[in-house]
Amino acid sequence: MAHGKTEKCEQDCYKGGTVLFMYLTGLGIRYWLMFSRYQSIIANHIEISTPLNSWKRVSEGLCLQSKGINPYEGDLLHEAPITILFYKVLTQWWKLDIKTIFLAFDAGTAVVLYFVAKKYMFHLFIEQEENKKQYALNSKEFLLSGSDFVNSPVFVASAFLFNPYTIFNCVGQSTVVFHNFFIALFLFCMLSGSVILSVLSLAICTMMSFYPIVLIIPLFLYSNGIYKSKFRAILTPILFIATLAAFITISIGLSNGTAFMKNVYGFILTVPDLQPNIGLFWYFFTEMFDHFRDLFISSFQINATVLYLIPLSVKFRKDPFLLTFAILCLISVFKSYPCLGDVGFVLSLLPCFIHLFNYSQQGFLVGVIFLITTALGPILWHLWIYSNSANANFYFGVTLAFAIAQIFLVTDILFAYLKREFCLNHGKERKIDGKDALLILE
Amino acid sequence: MGLLTDPSAGQGKLTKALLKYYTKLCVLLYIGGIGWFCSLAYTPMNAGTYFSENALLPGLVKSEFREDAIAKTYHSELLDEMKKYEDSIPYPWLLAKMKQIGLDTYTHNFTLNYPLGKPQKFVGKNVYGILRAARASSTEALVLSVPYRPPLSVHATTAPSIAIMLAFAKFANREKYWAKDIIFLITEHEQLGMQAWLEAYHGVACGNDGTLDHGDIKGRAGAIQAAINLELHETAISQVDIKIEGLNGQLPNLDLFNLAAKMLLKEGVPHTFKNRPNKHLKDPVNDWFYSFQTLLAMISTQATGIPNGNHGLYHRFGIEALTLESTPLKGGNKAGFPIVGRIIEGIFRSLNNLLERFHQSFFFYLLPSSERFISIGLYMPAICLIAGALFIKACANWCQLQENQAETEDEKTKTPETKKQVKSSVKPRDSKNYWKEMETRFQTEIQTHNPPDPDSVNFISILCVFLMSHVLGVLIMNSPQLLTTLGGQYNYSTDASLFYGFIAISVVLLTMPLFIPFKACEKSMSVLNILSLLELGTTLICVSMNNFSLALFCAIIYVPLALIIGITRCRLCSAIKKIVWLLAHPLVVLTATVLVYTFFMFPGEKFEDNFHRGVAATQQAIVFSIVDSMIYGNWLFSVVTSVFISNWLCFWIVAFAKVPQDIPKKKID
Repeated sequence: MAHGKTEKCEQDCYKGGTVLFMYLTGLGIRYWLMFSRYQSIIANHIEISTPLNSWKRVSEGLCLQSKGINPYEGDLLHEAPITILFYKVLTQWWKLDIKTIFLAFDAGTAVVLYFVAKKYMFHLFIEQEENKKQYALNSKEFLLSGSDFVNSPVFVASAFLFNPYTIFNCVGQSTVVFHNFFIALFLFCMLSGSVILSVLSLAICTMMSFYPIVLIIPLFLYSNGIYKSKFRAILTPILFIATLAAFITISIGLSNGTAFMKNVYGFILTVPDLQPNIGLFWYFFTEMFDHFRDLFISSFQINATVLYLIPLSVKFRKDPFLLTFAILCLISVFKSYPCLGDVGFVLSLLPCFIHLFNYSQQGFLVGVIFLITTALGPILWHLWIYSNSANANFYFGVTLAFAIAQIFLVTDILFAYLKREFCLNHGKERKIDGKDALLILE
Repeated sequence: MGLLTDPSAGQGKLTKALLKYYTKLCVLLYIGGIGWFCSLAYTPMNAGTYFSENALLPGLVKSEFREDAIAKTYHSELLDEMKKYEDSIPYPWLLAKMKQIGLDTYTHNFTLNYPLGKPQKFVGKNVYGILRAARASSTEALVLSVPYRPPLSVHATTAPSIAIMLAFAKFANREKYWAKDIIFLITEHEQLGMQAWLEAYHGVACGNDGTLDHGDIKGRAGAIQAAINLELHETAISQVDIKIEGLNGQLPNLDLFNLAAKMLLKEGVPHTFKNRPNKHLKDPVNDWFYSFQTLLAMISTQATGIPNGNHGLYHRFGIEALTLESTPLKGGNKAGFPIVGRIIEGIFRSLNNLLERFHQSFFFYLLPSSERFISIGLYMPAICLIAGALFIKACANWCQLQENQAETEDEKTKTPETKKQVKSSVKPRDSKNYWKEMETRFQTEIQTHNPPDPDSVNFISILCVFLMSHVLGVLIMNSPQLLTTLGGQYNYSTDASLFYGFIAISVVLLTMPLFIPFKACEKSMSVLNILSLLELGTTLICVSMNNFSLALFCAIIYVPLALIIGITRCRLCSAIKKIVWLLAHPLVVLTATVLVYTFFMFPGEKFEDNFHRGVAATQQAIVFSIVDSMIYGNWLFSVVTSVFISNWLCFWIVAFAKVPQDIPKKKID
C-alpha cells in the first residue's frame, strides 16, 4: 500500500465506498454459497443447525399448521409460536423467497452492528472525556483516538460479514440469523437509550431462545448508570415482564393451548434431544443415570444463566455493554443447543473492544485453538459417523477445546478491561515498591 | 473466579524466553518428534495385540471343513473354463456352480466412463451369491470376495481362491448355525469391480458424478459387518500375507486383523505382515531395526492412500475388511485346500458370533509386527511435536511483532507531553444539552484524528493474498479435465498434457510475488508468514487424523523447510531460501521421489533410460492420483492441490520479502 495521502484517503473512504463494497462482497459470498451445491452440505452440519434452529423443522411446522394440525403436538417443532407467525407472514403471506429473507436479515444484522459499534464508540468517548482529569499523567497513550472511533465500526461490520461462522450460519439457513438480528437490534436500542424498543426486541429474543432473558440486567444498568434516569430504570423490568406476558398470551392464542411451552422452553431447559452439537450437554447426558438427570440439568442450566451473572454485573456495572458481550459469550458456550451462528455473532462484536486488545494476552492462543478446532471438528465428525472409525470422544474433545477457547477469550477481554482501568488511573508502570505487581480480580 | 487472575503474570519472562530460545526449541521439537516416532518400533514402547471383542470367541470350535476334494474339482473345471474366456469373467460357469450349491445368485453390470482424455467406456461384470442365514432375517451380512483374474491379466491368478470359496460355500450352506448372511462375491477388473459393487450395494456414488456408473443390483443381504478378500495364487500355500491398508489410509479394526492372524496361527500356516515374518531377535538394536523396517513398510503403503488390495474399498462404508494373500516360500510345509478351508471356516464362524459391529478395539494403529501394535495415543505425539514446532515459530513471530510495536510506541511517546486542555465543564447527564455537546465533541474528535501509521499491518490485503492463493489452488484442483482437452487438441497424450500443464501452471504461479503490494512492509510479511505457518500446522494435524503416515512424511519434509523460510536481511540467505523452497514444490518432490525410486528399482541401467522411465512414471502417478480421486474419492490429489500448493505459494511470497538492509536491527529470523 502506498503511504501518506492514499492511506488518509482510504481512511476517509471507509465511510462510503469501501463500506458499501464490503457489504456487497459479504453478501456476494453468501449468495454464491447459497445457490451452490455446498448449501445442503452446510445446512446439514450439526455445527450449523440444531433441533432448535433448523429451517427444515420450521418448514415442516408451517406445513403441518397449514394442514390444520397443531405442530406442537409432536416432537418436531421447537420454535415459538410468535416466530412461526413471523415466518408464516414472510413466506406464505408476502411470498418472499426464503433465501432472500435470510440474506436480507443477515445484511440487516451487519448494518445494525455497524451502528451498535458507532454508538458504543460514542459512549467510550464520553466516558473518556468525563474522566480525563482523573487519569494518570503518562496514560495518554492508552486513550482512544479518532481513528479508533472511525475504524472500530468498520471492523465490527467486516468481522460479521466475513466471519466464516456467520457466513455458514446464513447459508445453512438456521433461524439463528433472525435471533442475531433481534439481538443486534436490542444492542442498538440499548445503546441509544430507547427503553421501549430495546425491551421489545429483548422480549422477542427471549421468546425465541429463552437464554437472553438475563440480558435484562445490562439493560437495567444502562438505564440506571449511563442515562442516569431512575424512571427508566424502574420502567425497564416492569415493561419487560409486561411484554413477555403479552407475548406469551399471544402465543397461547396463536397455538391454541400451552403445548408450545413444553416443546419450546421445556425443550431448551430439559434437553431431551441429545443429538450431538458443539455444546457441552449432549455428551454428559447420554451417559447420565436417569435419577441424577434432574440435578445435573439444573446445575448445567444455572451455570448457563445466573451463575456468572451476579459477580460480572457487580464488577462491570460501569460498562454494561462489555457485560452484555460477556453474557452473550457465556450463553453461546453454555447453552443447551449452541451453534456456530451464536459464536460468530459474539466474535463479530469483538472489534468494539479495540481499546482492550493491547492488554489481552491470549489472543494468539485463542486464535490457534479456534483454527484447529474448526478444522478438526467436521473431520472427526466424518470419521465418527461416516467412516465408523473414530468415536464420540474424539468429537467431544474438539468441541470441548472450542468451548475452552471461547472461555479464554471472554476472560481475557474482561481482564484486559480491568488492566486498562488500572493503567489509566495509576499510570503505565505496574509496580509496588519497585517489584512487578500481580493484579488479581476480586 | 480463578480464571480471572492476571494471565500476564510472568508472561513477560515467558515471552522473552520464547523469543530467545525458539529456534533451538523448534529444532528440539522436530528432532524429538522424529526420535519419538523411531522409538515406537522398540518393543517396550508398544503393546502386544489382544482381543478386545469377547464375542468373537476365536478358534473355540472344532473345524469341520472336509470339502477339499470338491475344491480340487472346482479348480480343474475352472481352469478349463478360463481357457475359453481369455479376457473376461466365465460367469455362466460361476453362476451355474453357485446355483448348484444353493445360493441366491446374481450378476451385476457396471460401466466406467474414463474421465480424462477422449471419451472411453469400459464395462464389467461381477457375480455374487448370497447364502441366506438359517437363524436370522437377513439384517446382517459377511462378505467373502475374490477378484477374478483372466489368463491375460498381469497379476497372478486367483483361480485357487475361487475354488476354495465355492467349496466353502458348499460346506457352509449345509450348516445351520449361521446368524448372518454370507455373500460370496467374485469381482472383475480388480478394484473397479469392487468399488462398483459396493456403490451399487449401498446405492451411493463416491467419486465424480457419471464417472463410474455403478448400475444396480437385485439381491441384497443386510448391513455388511466384515469382509475377507482372498488372493490365493496356489493350491498349496506356504505362507499368507495379511494386508490391511485401505483407501485414504483407513485401516480395519484391529480385532479383525488379530482374528485372521490367530486363525492362521491355529492352523499352522505361517503368516507375515508386509511380507515380513515376526522375528524375535536377541540383540535389542537388531530387534528394533527389524520392527522399524516393518513399520516403515506399513507407513509408506498407508501414506499413498491407495488400497493395496480389494479390502481397502470396504473401509469407507464402515465395513471391516482385509486381504489374505498367499506368498511363495521356498521349502517348508505346504498347506492344501483342507487347511485353507478350515482357516476360512474359523474366521467366518468367529465373525458369525459378533453381537454388534466391530467397535471395541482400535481403528487407529500402526503395526511394527503382526503381534505388536502402536495405538493412536502413542503415535500422535510424534506428529504433534513436529507440527508443534510450526506453532512455536508462529507464536514467536507474533510475540516479536507485538514487541516491535511496543518499542515503536515507546519511541513515539518519548516526545515531551503537552497536556491537552480539557474542558472541565462536564454537565450532569440528565440535562438536555449534555448529549448534544458530547455529540459535537465526538464529531470534532473524529475529524481531527491523526493519520494512521503507514507502517501498520494491512490485514485486508494480506487476507486477500492468502485467499487468492487458495482460490488458485482450487482452480488447479479442477483443471485436469481442461488440461487434457487442451493437450488433446495438440495431440499430446493424457499423461504428458497433465504433467506439462501442471509444470506450466506452476511456473506461471512462481511470478505471483511480483504482484504483492506489501512486499516491503516487514510486519505484513511477518503476518503472512504466521498465517502460513499456522495453516501448515493445522493441515498436518488434520491430515494425521485421517492418514497419519501421509502427515508424517509431509511433516518430515516440509516442517524444517517452512521453519527456515522467514524474513531475512541477508541477500544470500534469501536466495538460498528461495532455491530450497523451490525444491519443496509438491511437483518437484513427487518427481524426485519417483526418480529416486526408479534408480533404486533398476540399478546398473543407463542414466538416461532410468531418467526417462522415472519421468514417465511420474506422469502416470499424477494421472493415477487424479483418476483415483474421480473414481474412488481418494482425496490425496485434492488436498495436495488445494492446500499444499496454496500453502507453498504463501511461503514463496514470504520468501520474497524486501526488507531494507540498512537499518541495524535485531534479526527476526
